[in-house]
Amino acid sequence: MQDSFSGKVAVIQFPGVNCESESVRAVRAAGLESEIFRWNMPPQLLGEALAVILPGGFSYQDRIRAGVVAAKDTIMDKLSDFARDGKPVLGICNGAQVLVEAGFIPGLHWEKIDLALAPNVMSDREGYYCNWVHVRAEGNNCLWMNKYKEGDVIPLPIAHAEGRFVTKDEDIINDMHKNNQIVLRYCTEVGDLDSSFPVNPNGSVENAAGICNPEGNVLAMMPHPERASWLRQVPEDISGKWKTKRRNACCRPEIMEDEGPGLAFFASLIREMTG
Amino acid sequence: MPKGTVSIKGKPDSEVKESLSEYGFNITVAEARRVVELVGRDPTLVELTIFNTMWSEHCSYKSSSKVLSEFLPTKASNVVMGPGEDAGVIRFAPAGKDDSYCLVIAHESHNHPSQVLPVEGAATGIGGIVRDVYCMGADVVGVLDPLRFGDPNGENGQESIAIARGVIDGIAQYGNALGVPNLGGDIIFDGGYDENCLVNVVAVGLVKESRLIRSRVPIEAKKIPYKLILVGKPTDDSGFGGAAFASEDLAGEGEADRGAVQVPDPFLKRVLTVANRRVLDLAHEKGVKVGFKDLGAGGIACVTSEMADAGGFGARLNLDQVNLATGDYSPSVISCSETQERYCLAVPEDFVDDVLAIYNEDYELPHIYHGAGAFVIGDVINEKSYRIESEGEVVCETPVKVITTGISYDREKKTGKRIFNEPELDPARSIEEDFLKIISSPNIASKNYVFRHYDSEVQGRAVIRPGEADAGVIAPIHGSKIGLAFSVDGNSYYGRVDPYQGGALAVCEAARNVAAVGAVPSTITDCLNYGNPEYPEIFWEFYEGVRGIGDACRGIGLIGKEGEPLPVVSGNVSFYNQGKSGKAIPPTPVIACAGVVEDYSRSRSIFFKEEGSSVFLIGEPLDELGGSEYYRQIYNTSGANIPQADFIRERNQIKTVIDMHGLGWIRACHDISQGGLITALAEMAIGANPALGLTVDLDEFGRTALEPEKLLFSETGNFVVELPGGIEREVLALCARNRVKLFRLGQLVSRPKLNITAGNERLATWDIAKLRDLYMNGCRGIFGKQERRISAR
Repeated sequence: MQDSFSGKVAVIQFPGVNCESESVRAVRAAGLESEIFRWNMPPQLLGEALAVILPGGFSYQDRIRAGVVAAKDTIMDKLSDFARDGKPVLGICNGAQVLVEAGFIPGLHWEKIDLALAPNVMSDREGYYCNWVHVRAEGNNCLWMNKYKEGDVIPLPIAHAEGRFVTKDEDIINDMHKNNQIVLRYCTEVGDLDSSFPVNPNGSVENAAGICNPEGNVLAMMPHPERASWLRQVPEDISGKWKTKRRNACCRPEIMEDEGPGLAFFASLIREMTG
Repeated sequence: MPKGTVSIKGKPDSEVKESLSEYGFNITVAEARRVVELVGRDPTLVELTIFNTMWSEHCSYKSSSKVLSEFLPTKASNVVMGPGEDAGVIRFAPAGKDDSYCLVIAHESHNHPSQVLPVEGAATGIGGIVRDVYCMGADVVGVLDPLRFGDPNGENGQESIAIARGVIDGIAQYGNALGVPNLGGDIIFDGGYDENCLVNVVAVGLVKESRLIRSRVPIEAKKIPYKLILVGKPTDDSGFGGAAFASEDLAGEGEADRGAVQVPDPFLKRVLTVANRRVLDLAHEKGVKVGFKDLGAGGIACVTSEMADAGGFGARLNLDQVNLATGDYSPSVISCSETQERYCLAVPEDFVDDVLAIYNEDYELPHIYHGAGAFVIGDVINEKSYRIESEGEVVCETPVKVITTGISYDREKKTGKRIFNEPELDPARSIEEDFLKIISSPNIASKNYVFRHYDSEVQGRAVIRPGEADAGVIAPIHGSKIGLAFSVDGNSYYGRVDPYQGGALAVCEAARNVAAVGAVPSTITDCLNYGNPEYPEIFWEFYEGVRGIGDACRGIGLIGKEGEPLPVVSGNVSFYNQGKSGKAIPPTPVIACAGVVEDYSRSRSIFFKEEGSSVFLIGEPLDELGGSEYYRQIYNTSGANIPQADFIRERNQIKTVIDMHGLGWIRACHDISQGGLITALAEMAIGANPALGLTVDLDEFGRTALEPEKLLFSETGNFVVELPGGIEREVLALCARNRVKLFRLGQLVSRPKLNITAGNERLATWDIAKLRDLYMNGCRGIFGKQERRISAR
């Protein structure tokens, strides 16, 4: 815990989140300073931060609905100002649920809830699902993804029971497309979109795995990049290009500490800062 | 003189018995009279409640302790702390010049609660075991869950399925929310568990040796005043009598027993975990010595008396200071209820305010959970007495030793008579057809449904995940190549035929599994699940099982440390596993093995990797199909010739596999267990990416070999390894040096078929895609989406 968050990435620890430590670790691995921000710390401290991450977990026990209670927390007022100033905000998994419940995402009408993260719809199983999936980088609108190229296929793990982006309003989907807001989509290891399970692991609309606001500084994503920030974290039997890299690291422990497929989300902040 | 005593002195046995049963106590009349002797008068209701808990089998190990200490080796050069506290500790890597990284491991059962309330029962199983590791000052980095359920196709099939699903949901709900990854587990379905499932849980943690916290009042309390702080969930009557419930047969319909199941709360636990870490870090920064212990069986009375006594102190408690849930609770309930998510700290008086501020203000426990918080509930005293006050009255007052001394029995044992016969093999049967039945049977088929329901990724340390290899592997220390591997095992089909072998083979298989990922087996824990120990034949099963475990630990030993045993650092005994019909479960000792990997980058999945690789079998398949999946599925019998543990062979084979990892040869490695050699090969082929095939010529085993089906389905514990081509001579030399047998099984080809031949004769051919389909869907009917949700009862 720190007295100042100036120049640092603040990882907000709502009661019940459980990915704060590894998120801090991943941000630091990308070359930035990062600290945990306990939810009831003075809100003005948050204003000084370089960027804010809402990590995964079960904030406030998922009471009522995942993310709802945290979305109403007093710190969110400060975070709203922060985001509207164009500063970087990333919500991962439960953090994504908070951003959706707070109306930051899709952010077409600020703080209006236009989307939901609904229970997974999967053939042959129900509830919580944890696995590695592939997502495709779309467009070049999102600040958190400026180190990825359009069409990059990124293997990342997911772990959630409610990760299905959904809306009843077709206009919302059209607007999100128009603004290039659907920046991560579930795909096969070669980048093909397939709406069926397990390629689309939760039935998400448009295969959406990550959605940013129209300005591109706020990103809500269900997969966990902090769990894919080192090569050793990638399963050696994964399909696609990363398998070759991962298998090359077998019996070479020094290579295991190399960058994993998810680190670039955090490293993108450096590029953002340095132009 | 305390008030409100239960009169025992001078009363006839019949009256004492009646009053014990009125209060719902399990202790016997003789034990109650022993209490009178110890206390020196009739006990108070609170005192008798404490003894009823402390002398339950669950808490006292009264039937088992002598056998455990007779057979189990608990000392080795890597052991920091053996059995005795909440968890065992070994060191596994240096941490700077004067410190070591330590692994903390604990193992428990939560069988009866899971049978009556599967979701809550299993969840509290996880909740309880992680507390045992946290309270040593460690961070919990994983859990494992060996599970045994009833036969899904048997008479109680629907109920067994509902229990299995509930248990898995409970484990997932707790572990996922707490943020602790699942590192492995196993599931066996068998009719022997129809009335009494087994839910064993293991938790593992990391701590530097210098930061270990003891479950005792520190010696500093001799000089400065110490206070006892209770922190966590408000005390209620949930789980009242839980330890006693675990210590009797599951006779009733369970309704009344549900109150004895505790109510889990992983959310509160997560916040407590973060706050505890802050408290322990601050104590370390300030150089303050604290005692820390979780509340489990016996609640407040148990934790405070044990902490005080272990430090050589006494304690004085005031129940009026305990934070209570809404409701009216008697002093006995407050003293002994097993309300979850609570810890007790012993801290110096001048550190109390810091501690209370962290819990109550920084982490706002009272705000985020109604009634939760940290409160001073008593004092440590230099005098060795133990006193509880409530509303101005003394409700318990005894020397502290009287409470913690315990009780022990010499149970009678009687050799069980078991008659098992070998089936006559039917030459008309087709191996090709029979294997399709084996690969899709619930005990063999993929548990992917279950693994994917657990978070295996949280904390970011996973290297090998459940289902990818024989053991889960994590990279525990950031930036270090040291790995830790974990496996849990216990095949009940062997113990049924010979309980000694059941124990010995469980250790062998667990050790084999960690070796298969290149780890040196470094410690084990045991969870010993048996029926009612008051029956001499059951007690014999237990005795034999422990004897087998002890022999295996000494026989396999610590590889690389000549003459040292594989130490048992922690464990649990679960008796009274028998249901309403009175039939006991098969003897089920479950072993968890932790291994240390020198370089985790050498740990590989079981799946075949490369075309052109050579596939070898290390060790010879013997005529040991007793208890095998093959005999049971195809001949509907157990058979008699179960595998016979041969510790020298086992040790040599384990050492060979570890050597091969060290040389960087291993591309894939899998041990032979249920389903035999052919099942192991199929599993290695099923997950291969890209697809690879293999032709095995059984003539390789020589002319005097067993029948083909015995070679393929024998469960002798060997290893299959995939190695690079062209190093055959070196491989042979290594195996000769280690005195292990080696058979070349073939070369991997890109054609995805598994063929078995005997010279020119084709015995069987399978499409790997077809095997994959059967394997992946074999448990669909149990765990897959169900149209209609079945309730537990």
